[in-house]
Amino acid sequence: MSAGDPLRETDAGDGERPRQRFVLDDRGFDEVPPRYRRFYRRWQGSLDSLAPNEALCPVCKIVVRSTRELRPGDRLYCMACMSRLEVVSGADGRLEALVVY
Amino acid sequence: MSEEGPDIHDSEPAHFFEQVHSFEFWFEAVEGYLHGLDHGHRRETPEAELPAAERERLITVLCNYCVGETAALDGASGLVQIAPNRATKIFLSTQTVDEGRHLEVLVHRLRELGVADPELEIASRATPALLEFKRRLLGLVRERDWLAALFAQNVILEAMEFTVFQAHARSADPRTREVLLGIVKDERRHMGFGENELGRRLAAEPGAAQRLAAIRRELDPLVFGSFSDTLKRIGGRREEGIDLAEHYRAAVARLGFT
Repeated sequence: MSAGDPLRETDAGDGERPRQRFVLDDRGFDEVPPRYRRFYRRWQGSLDSLAPNEALCPVCKIVVRSTRELRPGDRLYCMACMSRLEVVSGADGRLEALVVY
Repeated sequence: MSEEGPDIHDSEPAHFFEQVHSFEFWFEAVEGYLHGLDHGHRRETPEAELPAAERERLITVLCNYCVGETAALDGASGLVQIAPNRATKIFLSTQTVDEGRHLEVLVHRLRELGVADPELEIASRATPALLEFKRRLLGLVRERDWLAALFAQNVILEAMEFTVFQAHARSADPRTREVLLGIVKDERRHMGFGENELGRRLAAEPGAAQRLAAIRRELDPLVFGSFSDTLKRIGGRREEGIDLAEHYRAAVARLGFT
């Protein structure tokens, strides 16, 4: 499952590999106002996978999408369940989102 | 198709918090999935011919959903009075409207299934454990115990409804399925509100976790018992991967008490 077209890479300015940028498309997630729909999509189950700009909301299991490739420390919001999330590096090295109360 | 505009993730937390708790946000969100529906399902969705025994089971299950939704309606409207700030009062007013809608569409579904007097049918088929849970929940609201009442309603009850309604929707007749999936979309907000509000409060008042753990031990069996029975009636079995407490247990673990 792709997350939208990679648009360009931006220089992080700190020596890190530049982040990919993404143009998000509307995936039909209808639980938030129309102008925010492109930031979310439904998880399609075991055959689905997350793109570099996506994280799974631990509270409600909706895929949260960003216009930027995600890195540890990034902030995300899940509007579907009103959660503030922080991207962290998981035990297996993959990125995951934790809820911040 | 793409649309450039402000990135929601760049918002300040205070702005996001105020926005998602607002009536304005709620209205735009529910319009997206309720517009054009007739009592929670599309007008053209066909009524399935159910065998008599299956119809009876469905009516019993829907009657108990009505008990749960009545508890949630009474609970949410009561919580408005004891909510600690305006944003949470406004959110709970939207939840109250959601719960009223859930009750209305479920009662309407009972009528579509041929139930002549839904009030009578709900009273005669209600699970005692769920009625006791409702009594305990409303008692916590009356005692103005914000943390305990919010935990009982928006974490225990909402998380289990979220799981059971999703599971039921997978095997339900087309009309019931649409009604349930519409309710699940609302429950996602209610569940998230409960966990996030409790998480903020517990961070400021860590001693409260022990009290909530005790309340959990009292209330768990009431809701588990009732919804386990529902799962059996709708054919959900452990081997099919339906875990009634999946969302609930995960939420409690994130909140830091067992």
